[in-house]
Amino acid sequence: MEPRSDLSILLLTLRVAAIATLVILPVGIFAAWRLSRREGAVRTLAETLLSLPLVLPPTAVGLLLLEALRRSGPLGRLLDRLGIEVLFTWKAVVLATAVMSFPLLVRPARTAFEEVDPRLLAMGRSLGSGPLAVFRRVALPLAWRGILAGTLLAFSRALGEFGATIMIAGSIPGRTQTMALAIFQRNQIGQDDASMRLVGITVVISFLIVWTTEFITRRRTRRAMG
Amino acid sequence: MIELSLALPLSRYRLEVTASLPADTVAVLGPSGSGKTSLLEAIAGLRPKAVGRVVIRGECVMDTANGLRLPPERRRIGYVPQDACLFPHLDVRDNVRFGMRSNGSGLFEEAVAILEIAPLLGRFPGTLSGGERQRVALARAIATEPRLLLLDEPLAAIDLALRGRILPYLLRVRESLGVPFLYVTHNAGEARAVAEAALVLRRGAVAFAGTPEAALEVMSADEDPEARFDNILAGVLEVTGQDGEIGTLRVGDAHFTVPREKGVPAGWRAVYSVAPEDVLVSTKPLEGISARNVHGGRVVSVGTAGPDAWIAIAAAGLEWTARLTRTASDVLGLETGLEVWIAVKTQAFKRLR
Repeated sequence: MEPRSDLSILLLTLRVAAIATLVILPVGIFAAWRLSRREGAVRTLAETLLSLPLVLPPTAVGLLLLEALRRSGPLGRLLDRLGIEVLFTWKAVVLATAVMSFPLLVRPARTAFEEVDPRLLAMGRSLGSGPLAVFRRVALPLAWRGILAGTLLAFSRALGEFGATIMIAGSIPGRTQTMALAIFQRNQIGQDDASMRLVGITVVISFLIVWTTEFITRRRTRRAMG
Repeated sequence: MIELSLALPLSRYRLEVTASLPADTVAVLGPSGSGKTSLLEAIAGLRPKAVGRVVIRGECVMDTANGLRLPPERRRIGYVPQDACLFPHLDVRDNVRFGMRSNGSGLFEEAVAILEIAPLLGRFPGTLSGGERQRVALARAIATEPRLLLLDEPLAAIDLALRGRILPYLLRVRESLGVPFLYVTHNAGEARAVAEAALVLRRGAVAFAGTPEAALEVMSADEDPEARFDNILAGVLEVTGQDGEIGTLRVGDAHFTVPREKGVPAGWRAVYSVAPEDVLVSTKPLEGISARNVHGGRVVSVGTAGPDAWIAIAAAGLEWTARLTRTASDVLGLETGLEVWIAVKTQAFKRLR
């Protein structure tokens, strides 16, 4: 296997993380919205299931995905019939990172939706907007900070995903090897300097993202108090 | 004509309001917690548990017995809640435009003119005073050309600066648009000034339905500490008193001496409030008294509540409410039909607009 440049690894990582984030964004916003307007046992169950990827070992999530996508499994068979190959391709990286990042998007977005005064939503209805229009014209604009914070968190989580990815996508240079996987592999074969270079890059990127997220959330809190 | 027949379970009691009001302008009165706000929300369609019937000028927006329950967005009912509930992410202009249809039809210009909010259009709700917020919320409601307006005046408005009151603007809305409305207020005097009918609620039930004048008597017996009985005078400022000392307000054929008003042009359509405590009553013609507003009239009714006597007096083409001690009323021998004179000091006239 030919060695890959730092840049190509970085670009691959950014690309899969961006695609994974874009894929979960509409689903995550919808889930967050529905959860924020519900009470009771169903909601608690849904929240618990959604949060599982946060607490399970990523390799366990990876193994479950692997089982689901196996050719003999129902999902694998369907994909096979459609001619879609997922396992050990970049699509598997996207799938693994999407699943692992999902709760990080949903939780802040849900909190942001919960902070929207339900009376404002009722007001929107009374002024002639249907439920969907009220979501678009009132809930989304008022919750955008939380949604953005969640999106950035999910994206940064996607950048660093390791455990689930290696289970279903492997660590194929140029195809599925992201930063996290490359750091591990270079370290394993004794390329400490090359490994450390990648670490430096991830530190800079992660710092920027988390700093931005903090900045956004901080401003929201201050505004809520003022 | 507004027909209501609504039931709604609340946490402490069940709201049951059945009233056929032969008027388009209705004041809803009653102590705090009597279900006034819940009634408005049920009419607006914001209480899914409400059952019953609502008919406005012959148009039915709800009749659950026959399976009709229009969602709030299809009722065309303009709701102005107590806290105005403006959209914090939109400026005043976009708030007022929110309910207008995408083709731009609606009463934006009229709403802005009547509520006098043109100077506020570029500002955000967070920067507005309580009174300004109420005006914007009322403008937002009427811009949608509603078939009915629901106004919930906050209790805090009693303590609000006089100029923050929504009442003068509601008078303008009534005059220029003729939209039917239900107006929740604690001020029986305001009810009399603005509405043709009144509904008094007590613990979710209708305690009284009829004329605002008669509601006054029901209310005064309630000893509700929040209830107010101000005399409201809407007229034209003929002299603003900018050069001299005092101004002159004309209401119908009667003239009243009011405080000097700076910065208001002659011809201004003003609204004044006079507290019932500030109306002095005499059974003899008044002479040599410092009060500038003295008018002869007749007692319409005498009501008592605790140590207070509430005297309704027809004078100068208006019906006044005076609040006396019971003792004072007894000593004067006030009774219906008696000829009396009222006196009001210039400074007792507080301008709302």
